[in-house]
Amino acid sequence: MGSRTLLMLTNFKFKSSFASSSSKPFYLVKSSPTIRKLSTKTRSSLQPPDVCRLAETARISLAPNEVEEFAPKIRQVIDWFGQLQAVDLDSVEPAFRADTEGDNLREDVPETFENKEALIASVPSYKEPYIKVPKVLNKE
Amino acid sequence: MASTLFRTIQIHPFSLYPTAICRRRNGVLYCTMKSTQTQTATQEKQQPPKVKVSQHTQSKTLDKITRDYEAIIGIETHVQLSTLTKAFCSCPYNYGSQPNTSICPICMGLPGALPVLNSKVIEFAVKLGLALNCKLSLNSKFDRKQYFYPDLPKGYQISQFDIPIATGGYIDLDLPLEFGGGHRKFGITRVHMEEDAGKLLHSGNGDYSQVDLNRAGVPLLEIVSEPDMRTGIEAAEYAAELQRVVRYLGVSNGNMQEGSLRCDVNVSIRPVGQSEFGTKVEIKNLNSFSSINRAIDFEISRQALLHTQGHDDQIVQETRLWEEGAQKTVTMRKKEGLADYRYFPEPDLPEVILTQEYVDGIRNSLPELPEMKRRRYEKMGLSMQDVLFLANDVNVAEYFDATISRGADIKLAANWIMGDIAAYMKNEKLSINEIKLMPEELVELIASIKGGTISGKIGKEILFELLAKGGTVKGLIEEKDLVQIVDPVEIGKMVDKVLSENPKQLEQYRGGKTKLQGFFAGQVMKISKGKANPVLLNKILLEKLNAKS
Repeated sequence: MGSRTLLMLTNFKFKSSFASSSSKPFYLVKSSPTIRKLSTKTRSSLQPPDVCRLAETARISLAPNEVEEFAPKIRQVIDWFGQLQAVDLDSVEPAFRADTEGDNLREDVPETFENKEALIASVPSYKEPYIKVPKVLNKE
Repeated sequence: MASTLFRTIQIHPFSLYPTAICRRRNGVLYCTMKSTQTQTATQEKQQPPKVKVSQHTQSKTLDKITRDYEAIIGIETHVQLSTLTKAFCSCPYNYGSQPNTSICPICMGLPGALPVLNSKVIEFAVKLGLALNCKLSLNSKFDRKQYFYPDLPKGYQISQFDIPIATGGYIDLDLPLEFGGGHRKFGITRVHMEEDAGKLLHSGNGDYSQVDLNRAGVPLLEIVSEPDMRTGIEAAEYAAELQRVVRYLGVSNGNMQEGSLRCDVNVSIRPVGQSEFGTKVEIKNLNSFSSINRAIDFEISRQALLHTQGHDDQIVQETRLWEEGAQKTVTMRKKEGLADYRYFPEPDLPEVILTQEYVDGIRNSLPELPEMKRRRYEKMGLSMQDVLFLANDVNVAEYFDATISRGADIKLAANWIMGDIAAYMKNEKLSINEIKLMPEELVELIASIKGGTISGKIGKEILFELLAKGGTVKGLIEEKDLVQIVDPVEIGKMVDKVLSENPKQLEQYRGGKTKLQGFFAGQVMKISKGKANPVLLNKILLEKLNAKS
């Protein structure tokens, strides 16, 4: 996995299903206006982080005292990024991505990875020929 | 028909286009919803449900119930692409390989591994987007869809969220004749690229599960339809047409049994005339087109029944599983609010940029799609039944095209392919690419019969040999001396011989037993080894039989 980004910590909520009954698909509605509307305000306008929920979704267990301890620290980081709110974006088209280079493509040619044994060996719980995992019935 | 029918579609590639079997089940009744376009104008006066409910009345009631409601159906389809390698790494993918043998750090999601997009995935996505008449996004991106599950190595799926590669298209199809036929056009909301997860198997004793990562990272195209379908059969045919399209394009083998074509269906109902949609229910575990049809019809009935009983609050937004054995849907889990996938743009993959030249190049290389073929075959004068059969399988259509492009009679070629050849393929379990009869030889066969060189009966006989062993029509005719006898003098001689050898029957015939003409004809056929032209034979025979009276 590549870079981790703190975007994960902001409270974006997106609908997961597209076969929805609303007349206009959610994704065609501009989703970023919430940021733009707050462009003239400062740090206090960003919602405080719901640390319990963040920990839940990241599958990190926190003791209550840790929740209390981390909440202001996380908030500080968010507010530091919140300085970006001061930028006037009214006449700027949203970019798809942060980089400018395109295409890094690969040909459809098979290659077997040589050291598959090492890969299997690194699996903590392996019961030939499967990876053994706890029984989980529901996604999320 | 007031009685309730339970229909199954069996779609075999080489039998005549879908056969329908009608069954009624004791106690549990299913109705098929009539689509609004085929509803008759006359309204029957319905009887109120009687206390002693016979099956007949019960079915009338169910009919009335489902007629008062309109079903809204949408389908999400996942198509597994037939690329040689996975989407983001160079691991090969072969269905049925030994578990965990096609893996590498990238598809296992090991730390530090980075995805690199397979160029074929874009090509296939553009092909499908164009075939579904979509608008292509020349700039699109990948996003991370985050959730935890044992078959998802990275803890997120690389997908496309808000800027899919294709949007706003449609698909044309023709409903099978045994369900009333008719043309339909259904909207396609979007097509996007994503990767597949591994395979999760639940062990017998239940305290642990097993994961096979061979499939993790295999490229998928997700196709989301507009909620345009209204009945189970429309939905099933939509899925069948998608299968046809992906096979025609060569982007997937579209096999529901293998999992390279997966459909999840969303069904809701609302009283006729209401504009708001009802509560939507998702149905999973549909492994065939007929399950799609039956599951939807069941679900419509279930929801309609709850509505009329005043229990429509019991219809909740949930995921239900179709149980093939019990032929019903059951609750899988109630949705506890919408899942939060925390989508954000995939930082490890650059933007997907398409140039107009690239898109145009692919558009120009698209093969003739099923809809185009059907319209062309219709214009050629073939019946709808022939059209649906011939265009169903791209290989059969190619075979047919090869035959008629060499000048064969269109209707005759269609008949041979749909009749004797299809029957042979079904018996021997062969595809049309595996039979030994070449299109050129079929052309020759048709011409030989049409031109009178051999009789139709002989034609059928040598067809079998040609299918099994190949060879040429001309060669076989020569080898077996099969040329039809059309010389009246020669036939006359044979008739004379038969008549002289069978005086008793001749007398009986003259006495009034005219049916014996068939006997004489048979005898002449026998001595001519089947080569006598039947029409001429009977003409001469009749003359001679009646002459001496």
